[in-house]
Amino acid sequence: MGHQISRRTLFRSASGIAVAGALGTSLSACSGGTGAGSTSSDLTMIWWGSDDRHAAYKKVLAAFQKKNPKIKIRPTYSGYDGYFDKFNTNIAGGSAPDLLQMDTALVAQYARKGVLAPIDSYVGKSLDLTGFSKTLLAAGTVDGKLYGVPSGIGVNQLTVNRSGLEKLGLELPDREWTWADLKKISTDVHKKSGGKIYGVDDGGGSTLQCFEVFAREKGETFFTEDGKKLGFTADTLQEWWEYWAGMRKANASPPPAITSAAHNDLTKNAVVIGKALFTFDSGVYGAGGSITDAQLDFLPTPRGDFSGAREGNFVNGGVLLSATKASKKVADSVKIMSYFAQDATAIKDMQLLRGIPPTEKARELIASGLTETDKLNMANADYIAQRVGKASDALAAPAPPPQGADQVWDLLFQSNLAVAFGKKSIKAQLGAFFDQSAGILEG
Amino acid sequence: MTVAKSDAGAGEQAASVTPSDQRERDRMRRRLARRRGGGWWPYAFLAPWFIGLFGLTIYPMLDSLYLSFTDFDLLTPAQWVGVDNYDKMFTEDPVFWDSVHATLLYVVVSVPLKLALALGVAMLLNRDLRGIGLYRAAFYLPSLLGGAVAIAIVWRQVFGGDGLFNDFLGWFGIAGQDWISSPDTAIYTLILLAVWQFGTPMVIFLAGLKQLPKDVYEAAAIDGVTPVTRFFRITLPLLTPIVFFNVVLQIIDAFKTFTPAFVISNGSGGPLNSTMLYSLYLYKKGFTDLQMGYASALAWVLFLVIAGFTAVNFIASRYWVHYDD
Repeated sequence: MGHQISRRTLFRSASGIAVAGALGTSLSACSGGTGAGSTSSDLTMIWWGSDDRHAAYKKVLAAFQKKNPKIKIRPTYSGYDGYFDKFNTNIAGGSAPDLLQMDTALVAQYARKGVLAPIDSYVGKSLDLTGFSKTLLAAGTVDGKLYGVPSGIGVNQLTVNRSGLEKLGLELPDREWTWADLKKISTDVHKKSGGKIYGVDDGGGSTLQCFEVFAREKGETFFTEDGKKLGFTADTLQEWWEYWAGMRKANASPPPAITSAAHNDLTKNAVVIGKALFTFDSGVYGAGGSITDAQLDFLPTPRGDFSGAREGNFVNGGVLLSATKASKKVADSVKIMSYFAQDATAIKDMQLLRGIPPTEKARELIASGLTETDKLNMANADYIAQRVGKASDALAAPAPPPQGADQVWDLLFQSNLAVAFGKKSIKAQLGAFFDQSAGILEG
Repeated sequence: MTVAKSDAGAGEQAASVTPSDQRERDRMRRRLARRRGGGWWPYAFLAPWFIGLFGLTIYPMLDSLYLSFTDFDLLTPAQWVGVDNYDKMFTEDPVFWDSVHATLLYVVVSVPLKLALALGVAMLLNRDLRGIGLYRAAFYLPSLLGGAVAIAIVWRQVFGGDGLFNDFLGWFGIAGQDWISSPDTAIYTLILLAVWQFGTPMVIFLAGLKQLPKDVYEAAAIDGVTPVTRFFRITLPLLTPIVFFNVVLQIIDAFKTFTPAFVISNGSGGPLNSTMLYSLYLYKKGFTDLQMGYASALAWVLFLVIAGFTAVNFIASRYWVHYDD
């Protein structure tokens, strides 16, 4: 019968090679080592942000280089997605940047791993931090040492589509509103829009902007001071998830498919796609520039409406500028930090793109050049900062989150989603959440 | 031996060297030179490949085997922890099991569907039509685009809540949903993407079909065999070596799928870990959570699982693959 397929051995060896090659790549992709610092003569700098922020950074850096022609800066910038994955790989590969924009949520881990350079010795010399409050500097302080200069005041704000509310004949709630008020107006939005729009995006799995404030209103923190355990009780989380289950049931919040789609993707945010009028994601404005055409406004995270509710809001440092330990140009990096913190043109160019400026002087400098939305944003942030400052019952601002914090936050998001999709009961998910969090924080 | 003798001869009996001795000696010398130089040349030419094999595959593999027994965060030196990583994986990591579940579902559903489609289309294209080359190219096209990030982004849009697929369903009065964001359907959008990229196995099937002997088909036609019988009794049995080859390759490929899962879920493996394909989880552990030791352990488990699947495949092939020799 002819010459057809009889080359058994050929097939065998071909498959064998294919298998070996296939497996080899997946295994060898997972190997690495620690190396030495950058050898290039340029000062490398990285940050994440929106196009607006990129433009502002570049403008400020250009002005800085004109005054300091000896320092040559090579910037690299991107969005937040993948920014730290890349940074990790760079450090491991020995090509760490000299200067970087650091997340206040991650500074503690990197500082404790010895990635960042302490900069205390420069303060008062080449690093001018006049006007920075102690609470603000706490955002860049780990175990008593300063590892980053805060870019500004960061507060938890809800972003509100005010024109959307007005169209439905609803009024912007008062800044002293409570969680019950949020539920009421969100339910109204759904009713008055004929079921087309939900009120507020699902905050049940949202941490920094949302649950952490609620826990603090209960007098609890997200992580304990030493960062080895969760600082809140199962009762608090249960009450929280039940509140959001009620929100979804009342159509005050959108169904989980919308929440899930918005995860890690600002362009799918419920307010951005026009499915809600309130969002806890401050990125919609702030870092991302105005995505929607609507007139936006801002509100503090609601107050607790239970007896003994404390002030839950707090002030953190926006983003940080940090130098890496492996860098040979820490002194130059510090000069740049100082420039961003104090130079009048730099402050004016940056406006609110890295948060509300950190010092009184800087806030005055930018006040005149602000857009309407910027002014509203700053006014609300000011309001929160002052309220927090005056409150006698507020807990101290949270310590920089521990190693594994981002995994716990993601777990909280996934847990709320599992409840919302009806895959798990609140009770069952509570147990799983606390078990797994303990596992993550133990390391 | 001969060399030593002739060299000694050259010294002692230089006077009595005959022309034929001289020729013999020259030939010997030339052969020797050829053998010595030739002995190393092939290795020199192979060196780039060997450097690649040892430097980029074997050494990193062994290194990852070592790292899989350590706690390594990329930034500080690795700490030996014995089998802790493997222990943790099987006993206290629910996401690991989520990813195993998602991956097995993906492999088990996508591979047979993809191969069936590939074979079906290959049969359709195995005829002499005008412009058949064009058709073949058209069907192969998705596979050229396949690994690209762009196509995964398009997929995310097509199957999103306000995507093309729902518009299409809308024509028939069917209310769609967000297929990407629902934990029950997300994995199937990935499977569909995989199945759509049937071009490579199709080309291999087509090559196989073209080699099948015409005489058998002619005999079958004379006997009045129906097309269905012809397919199951003639085509498929003769084609089993090709099927086997494709099954092995596609299973390995499917186990290693990363890009579409990463892009479509925005790197999260969500919703609810339903698209947390194994390679994606491995990447997340290594590069996002900085648990490179754990990620290495994951890689070795994947290695063993794929090796196991492939071994089973080869053993089972004795019973269903028909070689014509």
